[in-house]
Amino acid sequence: MIKKEEYIYKWFERFWHWSQALLIFFLALTGFEVHGLYHLFGFENAVFLHDIAAWAFLVLIVFAIFWHFVTGEWKQYIPTTKYIKAQIAYYITGIFKGAPHPTHKTVYNKFNPLQRIIYLGLKLLVIPVMVITGIIYMYYTYPNNPIEISGLGLIAHIHTFGAFALMAFVVAHVYLTTTGETPLASIKAMITGWEVVTLDEKEAHKVHMQKAVDDSVAGYYRLDSKGFFVEVNDAWLSMYKYSNKSDVIGKHYSLTRKSEDLQELDHIFQSVMKGKSITSKPVKRKCSDGSTGKHLLSANPVTTEDAVIGIEGFILDLDETHEFSEHMYDAVRDSGAGYYRLDEQGIIRDVNEAWLKLYKYDKKEEVIGLPCSFLRPEGEVEEFNQIFRHVMQGETLSGKITMRKCKDGTLARHISSASPIVMGNKIVGVNGFILDLSELDVSTRV
Amino acid sequence: MKEKVRLTTKKDSRKNFFRLLLFFAALIIPWILVSIFITKTSVKQENTEIKLINYKPDTIADVDHSKFPLLRQNFESPEQVTAACLTCHNLTASEIMHTSHWKWTKVYVTEQGDTIALGKKNIINNFCVGVPSNEPRCTSCHIGYGYKDKHFDFQDSSRIDCLICHDQTGTYEKFPTGAGYPVSTPKSFNGKEYLPPDYSFIARNVGTPRIENCGACHFVGGGGNNVKHGDIANELKEVTQEVDVHMAIDGAHMECVECHITERHEIMGNLYSIASENTNRLRCAHCHTEQPHQDNTLNRHVRKVSCQTCHIPTYAKESHTKMYWDWSRAGQFKEDGSLLVRKDSSGNIVYHSKKGAFVWENNVKPDYIWFNGKAEHYLLGEKVDSIRPMPLNQLYGNYHDKESRIIPVKKHIANQPYDPINRTIILPHLFGKDSMAYWKNFDWDKAARHGMQYVDLPYSGTYDFIETVMYWPINHMVAPADQSLQCADCHARDSRLKSLTGFYLPGRDHNNLLDLLGYALLIASFAGVLIHALLRLKNNNKSVKNN
Repeated sequence: MIKKEEYIYKWFERFWHWSQALLIFFLALTGFEVHGLYHLFGFENAVFLHDIAAWAFLVLIVFAIFWHFVTGEWKQYIPTTKYIKAQIAYYITGIFKGAPHPTHKTVYNKFNPLQRIIYLGLKLLVIPVMVITGIIYMYYTYPNNPIEISGLGLIAHIHTFGAFALMAFVVAHVYLTTTGETPLASIKAMITGWEVVTLDEKEAHKVHMQKAVDDSVAGYYRLDSKGFFVEVNDAWLSMYKYSNKSDVIGKHYSLTRKSEDLQELDHIFQSVMKGKSITSKPVKRKCSDGSTGKHLLSANPVTTEDAVIGIEGFILDLDETHEFSEHMYDAVRDSGAGYYRLDEQGIIRDVNEAWLKLYKYDKKEEVIGLPCSFLRPEGEVEEFNQIFRHVMQGETLSGKITMRKCKDGTLARHISSASPIVMGNKIVGVNGFILDLSELDVSTRV
Repeated sequence: MKEKVRLTTKKDSRKNFFRLLLFFAALIIPWILVSIFITKTSVKQENTEIKLINYKPDTIADVDHSKFPLLRQNFESPEQVTAACLTCHNLTASEIMHTSHWKWTKVYVTEQGDTIALGKKNIINNFCVGVPSNEPRCTSCHIGYGYKDKHFDFQDSSRIDCLICHDQTGTYEKFPTGAGYPVSTPKSFNGKEYLPPDYSFIARNVGTPRIENCGACHFVGGGGNNVKHGDIANELKEVTQEVDVHMAIDGAHMECVECHITERHEIMGNLYSIASENTNRLRCAHCHTEQPHQDNTLNRHVRKVSCQTCHIPTYAKESHTKMYWDWSRAGQFKEDGSLLVRKDSSGNIVYHSKKGAFVWENNVKPDYIWFNGKAEHYLLGEKVDSIRPMPLNQLYGNYHDKESRIIPVKKHIANQPYDPINRTIILPHLFGKDSMAYWKNFDWDKAARHGMQYVDLPYSGTYDFIETVMYWPINHMVAPADQSLQCADCHARDSRLKSLTGFYLPGRDHNNLLDLLGYALLIASFAGVLIHALLRLKNNNKSVKNN
């Protein structure tokens, strides 16, 4: 399990939520006075204030609807029956035993199935009914009106019952906010927007891998079973000097090689389609303008349950002008690229198998949660911290040769890339790749 | 290792601070604005400038009657004055003789489709019951001379009394039992001295009717000040705004006819103790418009609530008005056999041998009913149904009717003579010098027999008393705006409209079952939450101990 602070509630969402909370509270306060339950503002003022608040609420609703559709956040409310039993069981029994929440909050799925159903019910049933009956209540004078209902009774009763239902919802809603990480965590999250969420490894890995791919200096590609491009990222495009994805997608991979190099690639493609993985093979590419460049290629089969349906992988540029390029070209040949991810405080949140191998660890759990700085020889910690700060301010770093301290205390060299992880409009961490250089005595070669 | 590395720069934290500030400002400022708006506008509502249309406060007389030689003669009798008037106003007599002030009836079509002439002349009320057989007393308020029995000639224009309405001297008075005539020699009645009028002086001083003219009859209906109406009484001649904003000497100081617009002697306005049709009604909106308030919520009320409902919070503000009359207790005397008269501390007669027992009230909160301008009346000789108190004038209207509005009424209840065999209300012969009159011999049987015979209706020989009710719409004694009813007078559990059921009134009404369900839902959610929380706490403690 990985715990992480995520930016879940956008500023408008929070503004909307709290305004709505205030308005519902105020509407209930004045509404139940109009209902005759107590004397607080006086009937006249209560009606006046109730009407004003109702109009304010209506304006807020219009903005909220707009926001939900523009941001696509409405999808968060699509009801699902998946895990709903588990969620109910959790509230009835699991919570007392300290069992974990059966569902996990992410930026893309911030409501549990019960919340989805209840909130959707509020949005599609309770609030529209309250708004419609409220408007009729305000303007309806029987029988001098086109709508034929005999009097306000029914309208008023529906409106009143809706108010009771909303109040019951508020009670349960406020109580359930205390079932988060800590009793006040959910309320704090609704104020600041940030909430510590527990992510399951696979999901987080997927999400961050995707993110890493999108942002990294490493080029990513995916081909279908016949060798046609399905996907490439921006880094890939820039290495190949294309300006548009559409120039590449759907084309055959043969356009990426000079004819004399194509046979090698055919060979790679066929072997990967048979299930083999290629890690860091130095190759020569043909760019869109006909120029050439060197990069490291990795390729893995893309599989469904039983068949290989394509290949995907990364390419890391080995720029000809880079002073170490030749060495690296040799160095990283056949070596696996290690992937790592740090949070904004420099704590390791994720690494891959290749990374573990390079650092001589056996399991991820040994390093996840530790600050990255301990992976450096003491003399280089300050330099590392400086790099980390730069990346956290938005810089991207590639091809930096650094010294690592392995599990057994031995030192080794690698070349690393680091790019910021951007979430919303905030940098929330750093990720990148490392390529081993330990087999080479760089200093003698230079 | 636990040391947190703060990586935000100064610039970032300032940015974050401003963002947070902006967020809270966005949340709080609208509320501050709304509250300012509310406090400012509620002050603005105090502005009570009144919208007025169609109102001309003054009319200038066309002629000066004192200059006419015809009126400089010495008049011997009131009929001579009338003849003199009609010499010039030679079309006026026929005008007068078409009015209900003269005919004491109006023609109208009943629900059943019968065309009947109904009015003071033949209607039954629950005060002194009816005019027939009691004419000389009742007709002291007829605008004619000599309406002493049912044979009065309504076609004889010489019998029109012009002066009762047009006298400007305040010296012209009809004698209470004189069948519409003033006295010809000094006489006293109930301790008051009546002198023969100086017809010549009065004839030279005539003009548009003043409040004193109208009030001479209308303020004392039922035989005394404010007995019948409750909302019009002698004090209106000199009151402050607190009592009546229109008549007040410190207010509009209006005359009756400024609202009761009169054309060719047809006076606007109905009172549904007698009237039946939704015509010729006075409307406040004539001057005040249909949208008289600055507040639209109030203006929307106009469709369902009459102006009077809110603007006449109480009636009978100074003198008391009669609320209950028990004829069955009449006929008790002092031990010496003389008339027994008891008065309350305010000087109102609460018992009189001739009339029975009364209940008077002062500053009365009106009753409220739905009314659409149509009424039906108990007609002489009609069978009485089983409703008690039996309504003598049924005012129509209900919530579901477009024309209906809520109006304030005075409910006058009486216990009056009744023939249980024929199931008819008895018209008793009360007043008269003959031996049959109740006020002479105190014999209900004789009074009933004579009274019913006078109108050609059967009397079984058995009499009893029946409880009846009359509804008197309240239209006068409009209070200053700041004393009118407030929302919560009606929109509250303890509402003035408590008895006006059959429709949903916010603040007053609620569905018990629904409220119960609502409370149950709330209590259930509270209880559920509480139990859940306690269980969580308990298990939490357990797991802490185990650890």
